[in-house]
Amino acid sequence: MLLPPNGSADELQRLRAALGLDQPLLQQFLIWLKNLLHGNAGLSIRSGEEVSTLILSALPVTLQLVTLAILIGAGAGFISGVLAFRYRFTPVRNSLEVTNAMALSVPEFLWGILLMLVFGIGLRVSPFFGEVDPRLMVEQQTGFLLIDTLLSGNPAAFLNVLSHYLLPSLALALAIAPTLMRILYSSLNQIYASEYMRSARLRGLPERRLLLVHALRNAVLPALNLMSVQAGMLIGGTLLIEKIYGLQGIGSLMIDAINNQDLPVIQAVALVYAICVLMINQATEWLQHVLDPRAGV
Amino acid sequence: MTISISMNGISTTLRRAGWRLLLGGGIYITLFIVALLAPQLAPHAADTQHLEQTLLPPFWMDGGHTDYLLGTDVLGRDILSQLIYGARVTAIVVVLAPLGAALTGSCLGLMAGYLRGWTEKVIMTLVEIWMAFPSVVLAMLLMVALMPGFTSVILAIILVDWTRFCRVIRGEVITWRDRDFVKAARLSGASHLSVMVSDLLPVVRPTLMVLITLEMATAIMAESILSFVGMSVGPDTPSWGAMIARSLNTVFSAPWQLVPPMAAIVITIFAAMMLGTGLRFSRREQTATGDEVLV
Amino acid sequence: MTPPVLSVDALSVRLNMAGETVDLLHDLTFSLHKGETLAVVGESGAGKSMLTRVLAQQLPDNMQVSHGAVYFKGENLLALPAKQQRQITGREITYIPQEPMVALNPVMTIGQQFSEYLQHLGMNKKRRHAETLTALEDVGLQDGASLLKRYPHQLSGGQCQRIMIALAFISQPALVICDEATTALDAVNQNRVLSLIRRCQKKYDTAVLFITHDISLAASLSEQVMVMYAGELMEFGLSNSVLNNPRHPYTQALMQSRPAITGPWQPLIPLQGHMPGGSELQQLKGCRFQSRCRFAGEDCTNRIQPRLLDDDSHLVRCLITPSDEYHPSSPDEEDTFSEHYALGLLGTSEPFLRAENISKDYISGRFARRSRKRALKDVSFTLAPGEFVAVVGESGSGKSTLAHTLMGLEKKHGGQIYLHDKALGHSESEWRRRIGCIQMVFQNPNSALNPARTTASLMTQPMEYRRFLPSERRQRAQALAHAVGLNKKLLPCLPQDLSGGQRQRVNIGRSLCDIPQLLIADEIVSGLDVSVQAQILNLLLRLRREFKISLLLISHDLAVVRYLCSRVLVMHQGEIVESGPPQQVFSSPQHPYTKTLVNASRSAEGLEPVQ
Repeated sequence: MLLPPNGSADELQRLRAALGLDQPLLQQFLIWLKNLLHGNAGLSIRSGEEVSTLILSALPVTLQLVTLAILIGAGAGFISGVLAFRYRFTPVRNSLEVTNAMALSVPEFLWGILLMLVFGIGLRVSPFFGEVDPRLMVEQQTGFLLIDTLLSGNPAAFLNVLSHYLLPSLALALAIAPTLMRILYSSLNQIYASEYMRSARLRGLPERRLLLVHALRNAVLPALNLMSVQAGMLIGGTLLIEKIYGLQGIGSLMIDAINNQDLPVIQAVALVYAICVLMINQATEWLQHVLDPRAGV
Repeated sequence: MTISISMNGISTTLRRAGWRLLLGGGIYITLFIVALLAPQLAPHAADTQHLEQTLLPPFWMDGGHTDYLLGTDVLGRDILSQLIYGARVTAIVVVLAPLGAALTGSCLGLMAGYLRGWTEKVIMTLVEIWMAFPSVVLAMLLMVALMPGFTSVILAIILVDWTRFCRVIRGEVITWRDRDFVKAARLSGASHLSVMVSDLLPVVRPTLMVLITLEMATAIMAESILSFVGMSVGPDTPSWGAMIARSLNTVFSAPWQLVPPMAAIVITIFAAMMLGTGLRFSRREQTATGDEVLV
Repeated sequence: MTPPVLSVDALSVRLNMAGETVDLLHDLTFSLHKGETLAVVGESGAGKSMLTRVLAQQLPDNMQVSHGAVYFKGENLLALPAKQQRQITGREITYIPQEPMVALNPVMTIGQQFSEYLQHLGMNKKRRHAETLTALEDVGLQDGASLLKRYPHQLSGGQCQRIMIALAFISQPALVICDEATTALDAVNQNRVLSLIRRCQKKYDTAVLFITHDISLAASLSEQVMVMYAGELMEFGLSNSVLNNPRHPYTQALMQSRPAITGPWQPLIPLQGHMPGGSELQQLKGCRFQSRCRFAGEDCTNRIQPRLLDDDSHLVRCLITPSDEYHPSSPDEEDTFSEHYALGLLGTSEPFLRAENISKDYISGRFARRSRKRALKDVSFTLAPGEFVAVVGESGSGKSTLAHTLMGLEKKHGGQIYLHDKALGHSESEWRRRIGCIQMVFQNPNSALNPARTTASLMTQPMEYRRFLPSERRQRAQALAHAVGLNKKLLPCLPQDLSGGQRQRVNIGRSLCDIPQLLIADEIVSGLDVSVQAQILNLLLRLRREFKISLLLISHDLAVVRYLCSRVLVMHQGEIVESGPPQQVFSSPQHPYTKTLVNASRSAEGLEPVQ
């Protein structure tokens, strides 16, 4: 790795000392933590690059993927949940229910493969590898390609990047939407049996308003709660999806690092993942505070 | 006479169980039989390579061969046989991982919910830290630390997923712990341990059962993901996830190879979901008595 | 003459169960005029709430009106097009719900909910605010403006209750339906709410349909009373005449199973059996009350039409009018108790339990924000074997805290409890001694019975933690079932398969397992139907005779206290303000608080207040 294959044992020893690999594991970890506090995540054992540079260049890809997935997944889950409930006495509900059960039975990496097979390889309607068509040149400013293409005023490139992100984020969205729909449906059901819904209906308020104002505002709360629990799942899902679609995000970085036993990278990426999950949790908690007057009293 | 009665008994049991439980249960019984009898059922050994017959399509397609019903992979190994041997990994994982996770998670969840105070704080802080790591990432990290192998896969899944049991069981216990029957049990002379074991555990049991079926689905997913990235059981033990990963390399020339392992994974997960929904439905029917209409 | 506000004509509601049909409401006829109040009385399962559902057009899918009509101001409500029906619900007919705390949407402010409703009524924006404030003032909420910005969870139960009343009257409806609106309240609060409703009713000349299970409350607040049983009207008439001269055997039985707050002590004669429901109704021909009726004869299986009695306003659905003179008690009942015995005048014996100066604070918040609230203050009393003592007071007076402290479920902060002249501590052995002598019957059997245990396992749970043979446990279960009057067939059942009364029996049975000396009973009969309540009360009296147990009864129902207990302690803000024999305390209360309490109960019975 950092050593030519024919390096001597002496050289190896020196290198190990330089990298701190001769210390016990726990101590290595503590030294790494100390360095981290000074903004230094160390070097990759594999490539010798700064771990922080590696992560900073990969992070935008993952973040864009996650954001798109949340938008699509939450939107689809929310709309289908409300629709299923609105038409709960009609066949619409059953068909949504069946779609839902099927979607739940397919893990997201299989969705990734399936979507790629059908839309990428079979129908050839969508690109399925990389972040952008290699022929397009995009000026790097923020590292977020979707934003960069917009900033440089290149709508064609923007659409190209978006189409590259479409299938992977759809695969991830398919992992969140069904559970979201379920919880929304069942909490709407529960809320409709509650005393305040009964009272509101006895006040003669129209059904539309009952559903969209009275019930929905209460039903969103457990759904938000679920989102924060599922944040880990969603972020974890990016790992395989990035690998499958050849996106150079932190998931690909992680898998490569694991295969190469590249400990500094593994540690740093795991930390980044944890921070992402915590941030999503914070965001949902904040939303909950905004939407639920009872929270945080 | 006795036969007709027992037949009657069976049919009512079946009706009460509902088609979902029957379907899910049926699929799992099939899975276990296949896994158990793999050497007898498989037409070829899983790792025998037929290098002259690589990438054969299933027998009904052009160029297919009835010796290899579902075709062969890039090394000429029979896909059907790999699928059958791969069921063994799934069968073991689907039993042991949920049980282990349920045992660990619900013990801690019961303690956190019932004992409250610092016990609850410590356990729930642990759960939160644990859950900050995406389960896939955590499972991979554990696999790196544990060395690949059967035990490690199961251990990794348990160590990742106990938190879900802990969280849900604690939440359920919280809804019950202020009921008077807990106080009543204490007044009857029960120790805290017996309150947890013989009063709280039985009331959370239905939830626990549903959670276990969900965990079966999660365990299958987790195992397939790990074997997909080559971090599950060793390369010489066939598993469905690894089959998918391998066939992805030849996806342009032989896309059909992907179908059998994917279908196998999806069907087993689907069966677990059916078991869960079936359990939930049968519980609802139990509580809904005809008298409710009158109140 | 103007048509009545509400007129129900031969109404039947049919339930379809797997191809079979049952009339849940059968042949119901009554009418209600402007400004009048009609009380609908019945035990649970009588079909009272079915009636509200018909009026609100909210019958479940498997039920429909099979016969009859409902006229609202002369128009058939059931035949109106859906759009016009919606115009009436919520505008002309409004509702006051049973539980105000959960009847407001938790994520909307009070103001939003008012304004939304007024907008629906078609009121313009400017007037809405002013109207809301007036409506709130009408129900005694002065600080309306700040109230409107708040969310329901920030309000007290009383405030929510008032807001629900304001919402019900703000559209100046012709008819207000009160569905058990005061059931969960103690007498003092119940009085406040009722007078509020009456004031609003008078202001808008509204008709009120008052649904309740309490027959004397019904009679005290309304002009007319309708008694329902198993979906049928049994008796209908002017309140005075129904209350003082009930003519239907069921109404008579109801009156006999309610303890009175004045007059000589009389044994209660509870109705045996249970109200038929669902499939049982289908089998039943003729009178639906016949299986529990003392006067039932062969003719009762025929179809019975309601008939008017002599004074033209009194309607009874019964063939026989048992006796023209109503005899409150019938001496031929087997299970009677003498007053002497019932009130425990067994001669004086040494008290076995002494509580001295018990005090307790509730501490909330931490450090600087720490605040103390006095829950119990210097409470002292004694209990002798076989003595039944009651603790009365309104909610929040510290009754339940006292019970929990005595039982050791909460720690006291001062004072001492002596059991057999030995102070009770908190060590493990003291705990064993305590639960060996004192047991508690919890208020709500739904909460106190583990849903996963069978009746037998519940009642003998104390034996689980010591060594017993399974056969011993089985025997004890049977003995306990016998003691609390429970059919042995119910022993393998789960609580969900039992009726409310049966659950309460199991609940009592469990506390009797090791035959304690003292039972602490926290509101164990509130929320039960009167006939079940009478059964439980008599059961307690019988248990005393058999096991010589004593009882500390926590209750807000003075009539129940008077029926059971030989001594009453009146609690107010954590202190015992008065004590003595119930007869004496209730007829000449000394402390002003006791007076309010007694007068509130008397007014609910339609009696004059004491001086």
